Amino acid sequence: MAELNIQHVDKIYDNNVQAVFDFNLDVKDGELIVLVGPSGCGKSTTLRMIAGLEDISAGHLFLDGRDITQTPAKDRDMAMVFQNYALYGHMTIYENMAFSLTLRKENPNVIHKKVLAAAEILGLTSQLNKKPSQLSGGQRQRVAMGRSIVRNPKVFLFDEPLSNLDAKLRGATRREILLLHKRLQATMLYVTHDQTEALTLADRIVCMSMGHVQQVGTPLELYDSPANRFVASFIGLPPMNFFDATVREGELEGRGFRVKLTEEENGALLPYAGKEIELGVRPEDVQGGGEIAMNVFSNENLGMNTLVHGHIGEAAGNRISAKLRGWYDYKEGDSVNVVFSRKHFFDKETGEAIGRGKNA
Amino acid sequence: MNEEKTIRLDRMRYTKNTLASGLALLSIIFNVFFFISIYESNVGSWYYNILIGASILYNLVFMLAAFLSSEGIKNYKIGYSYVMIVLGIIQVIRIFIYPMRAHTATVTIQDQAVTVMENRQFIFCVIWLLASAACLIVGAVVGMVRSRALKAHIATLDKAA
Repeated sequence: MAELNIQHVDKIYDNNVQAVFDFNLDVKDGELIVLVGPSGCGKSTTLRMIAGLEDISAGHLFLDGRDITQTPAKDRDMAMVFQNYALYGHMTIYENMAFSLTLRKENPNVIHKKVLAAAEILGLTSQLNKKPSQLSGGQRQRVAMGRSIVRNPKVFLFDEPLSNLDAKLRGATRREILLLHKRLQATMLYVTHDQTEALTLADRIVCMSMGHVQQVGTPLELYDSPANRFVASFIGLPPMNFFDATVREGELEGRGFRVKLTEEENGALLPYAGKEIELGVRPEDVQGGGEIAMNVFSNENLGMNTLVHGHIGEAAGNRISAKLRGWYDYKEGDSVNVVFSRKHFFDKETGEAIGRGKNA
Repeated sequence: MNEEKTIRLDRMRYTKNTLASGLALLSIIFNVFFFISIYESNVGSWYYNILIGASILYNLVFMLAAFLSSEGIKNYKIGYSYVMIVLGIIQVIRIFIYPMRAHTATVTIQDQAVTVMENRQFIFCVIWLLASAACLIVGAVVGMVRSRALKAHIATLDKAA
């Protein structure tokens, strides 16, 4: 059992810079939470506060109901995996994995059993006599995870563990982390700035910006019903297209386009009648064959899909990306008719979502 | 074979033989104490012959061989156990070369007969050499026993596989 409750946590540095504002989160036992956001948004700081590597300026942290806000890092029963592996170069893999238990003066036979079990889980049994320098980046990161596993901590903390790996290895190691989570059923907090990692790994995602939590939810919730413009733009690749549009009777009017609204959308946008809002459309929700004219300026073939960039109408500012299914060879200056199959609406002033992702 | 013993043997597959290796390194330290003790003698020219040159060279060879043995034995290489036994025996023989001869020899300084190596210095030299030899031999035995046990354990694992 390991439930983590983070209540109203702030981080204010000595120079009065506030890195985290009123962070609240309840992590259930066995849950994998991913903290995602751009660099400098406070996600690593939050993780380090949970680990005990940074002081908590205000608020409380509870582990299984016990207040551990002031508990030293070594007594928190949490294990952290770092981006740079933090392995001892002069020790073998076996010694690296056994190190924390050796320091605790555990029985060497018990340590041996735990290390072999962790190595078996991570597929490192044949590497135990090697030094870290003889392993690939992915294997080193697995060793770092193994070092955490042997401790059998209540909570695993991952601070951008895949950032040092190349794209292929990152994908493979990501799948290993997912399998590891399923196998151990452990409570895990994972920090990344890579939304693909967040979407593929998380039970729930915490999206952060400028020290504030923007939205907490399942990957589908964040993708389908972003709480605000920031989440909508951050989650999804390529990012969402945004257009300024005015709410008219039954339709939205923007520069160079008009979009009909469904009854439900109309109802949601009723308070905004005559006002300007922001229309968000994901590139994958832009489909060919509508009435909106898109002027192409670049065409990227991705195999199964074609990513077409252009702008709507004559308005050069209305840039749009469309992820069209199939192989197309549009040239610069071509005009393509498109339709928005799914729309998101955002308040122009606050950036908050209006009526959360209605189907067209 | 009980489980504890099996795990203890299995551990050796991934851990170094630090006991035997440490003993080999300790033997070097005792050897250093020995030659420091012998060089503190100040008895004219009694030592000035080919033997002291050979002794100095042997000290260098000994330190190199003992260090290499410590590295070898650390990785359960049984051959280095034999090297350590030979080095240990030579350390015992060395007692009869310099300390014993110097202890019984006298030189004349300012018309007075002086013993080359006094009792205190002699005892220390013998202790350092014996300690060095003991470390080497015990280390060699430990290395031998563990190396054989590990070899047998790996053979059992191979057979089971």
